[in-house]
Amino acid sequence: MKALSLIAVLGIIVCFAQSCGRQGGGEALNLFAWSEYIPQEVIDGFTRETGVRVDYETYDSNEAMLTKLSQGSTRYDLIQPSEYAVENLIRRGMLDPLEFSEIPNLANLDPAYRNLPYDPGQKYSVPYMAGTVGIVVNSEVVKEPVHGYQDVFRDKYRGRIVVVNDNREIVSWAFGVLGIPINQVTPENLAKAKPLLAKWLPLVKVFDSDNPRIPLLSGDCDLGIVYSGDAARLCQENHKFRYVLPAEGAHEFVDNLCIPKGARNREAAQKFINYVLRPEVSKLISDKFPYTNPNAAARKLLSAEQLANPASYPAAAHLDVFHDIGAATQDIGALMSELRGGG
Amino acid sequence: MASSATEHSDSRQSPPGAGAWLLLTPLIAWLGLFVVAPTAILLVYSFFRGVGLSEVRPGFTFENYRHAFAIAYLRVFVRSLTYAAVTTVLCVLIGYPVAYFVGRIRGGWRNRLLLLVMIPFLTSFLIRAYAWFVILRDHGVLNSLLEALRVVPTIFPHRIELLYTPAAVVIGLVYTYLPFMILPIYGSVEKLDESLLEAASDLGAGPVPAFWRVILPLTWPGVAAGIVLVFVPSIAMFAVTSLMGGARIRLIGDTIEDQFFSSGNVPFGAALGILLLVLFMLSFVLLRRPEPRTAPS
Repeated sequence: MKALSLIAVLGIIVCFAQSCGRQGGGEALNLFAWSEYIPQEVIDGFTRETGVRVDYETYDSNEAMLTKLSQGSTRYDLIQPSEYAVENLIRRGMLDPLEFSEIPNLANLDPAYRNLPYDPGQKYSVPYMAGTVGIVVNSEVVKEPVHGYQDVFRDKYRGRIVVVNDNREIVSWAFGVLGIPINQVTPENLAKAKPLLAKWLPLVKVFDSDNPRIPLLSGDCDLGIVYSGDAARLCQENHKFRYVLPAEGAHEFVDNLCIPKGARNREAAQKFINYVLRPEVSKLISDKFPYTNPNAAARKLLSAEQLANPASYPAAAHLDVFHDIGAATQDIGALMSELRGGG
Repeated sequence: MASSATEHSDSRQSPPGAGAWLLLTPLIAWLGLFVVAPTAILLVYSFFRGVGLSEVRPGFTFENYRHAFAIAYLRVFVRSLTYAAVTTVLCVLIGYPVAYFVGRIRGGWRNRLLLLVMIPFLTSFLIRAYAWFVILRDHGVLNSLLEALRVVPTIFPHRIELLYTPAAVVIGLVYTYLPFMILPIYGSVEKLDESLLEAASDLGAGPVPAFWRVILPLTWPGVAAGIVLVFVPSIAMFAVTSLMGGARIRLIGDTIEDQFFSSGNVPFGAALGILLLVLFMLSFVLLRRPEPRTAPS
């Protein structure tokens, strides 16, 4: 027994030593990005080429990223904010302007994604992937047509629904049904949305932004409102899943790569942005996470099936985007805490 | 006997010498840096004002505490206390027999069984939580087993929906904190004096009175320690409860995390955190009742 415990202790020490050794020395890129968004092969490829180690830390909401960034505890070199978070960061002067001479691959981007309104003059951000938030339905179980939010939140689907764990998103759906513009988050509009939300929230079984595919794949949920990339993966895995852009209104999000102020390794960050804009690398990202790829050169490398996936490339016209609503976020938080706390 | 008793009480009353303080310094430094300082920072932040997304304006306001006493949050606090209480009771009911059995075994098996209790600690809690997913979900191991045994169509009409329910949250909590109950009780059981049990049976006590009047009071210190070790931390548990409950059942830990990472309202999260700390201290003080007298009359 003594020999066994000695071996166990030695084993634990070796494990710790290994993990400690990896942190010391060497050049590193401190990457802070969404979970389920950057494939490991892309990161490994970058390290192989440049010799720069990538420390990939993840978050599952813009608000989480902003909070961590505001605390200033860790110096990140590269972050991946959505469009309204980019607005917020620019306003607070928390982003470093990009050195576009070092990012020649920017030319690969589709012109529709150049110089977007949230970053006037495109000084601070490079679009990474775009997408929508929409309805995914397991057509083997759900036989009735589902066209919009009202079709999803029906009593017959009680306890079979999964939605993203994003309070602002959920409120925007209620706004969509009531015809309120999604960025007009005022106390009056929130009061109007409250009864609808109070009716909807108890019907939801799972709130998950990290991996909403899990309950859909396992059969614990039959339909949900998820990010288009997750929906596209579901559709690819099994054709029983269908993606629907809600009729009451959908919005588009654009996730970007930005360098926060105080980044230590700006050079590696710029290199990474340029690397990701390469068509073959961007194709790898689309293969793993089939969101809407803003890289025109990469789209030429995608298969017809990938481009035909309605979740990845919806046939929608001009869609709304979120804007930075500042302090109103806390009003949303208070309302949703109250409504979700009841259950 | 009397002189050694007074000697004993004398040494307990004299203050610790310089050597003792030197040994205590690392602990005091660690506590100061990692417990006192962060709590002080949290307290200061709880009086600031939250503006915008994760932006904080320094100042002094009671707004956060006033908001925290809204009925919605009080409900969350009460719910967390309830879940903690249920978890503690279940841990005692499950943990006591296990600890008693392991404590009374002779020989090498005792250590091996203890190791089995400890091994889950060595794996990440996330993996353990996902393992429960595989067991509890609609088409998971439990339901498949019940269907195979024909329990499902006959006794229960439908599959048992356990995942993403309050039951799953309790399962997650009990599973996480059970070792904290087993080990202290085991410590008490190990110290049981065999001769006292023999005396009890010699005096005509059957197994139930023997347990109730002799074994339980003697092992009570272990149970009390276990109750404190399980109840107090389980009030604030968040990640496991969020996973197992589908982020639907709002406990105070999840709600505080929400304020920091979803609403970006750091001062309000800090205020809730301070209130939770006060709740901790209250629970700790109330649970530490004096031990029942064990000395024979």
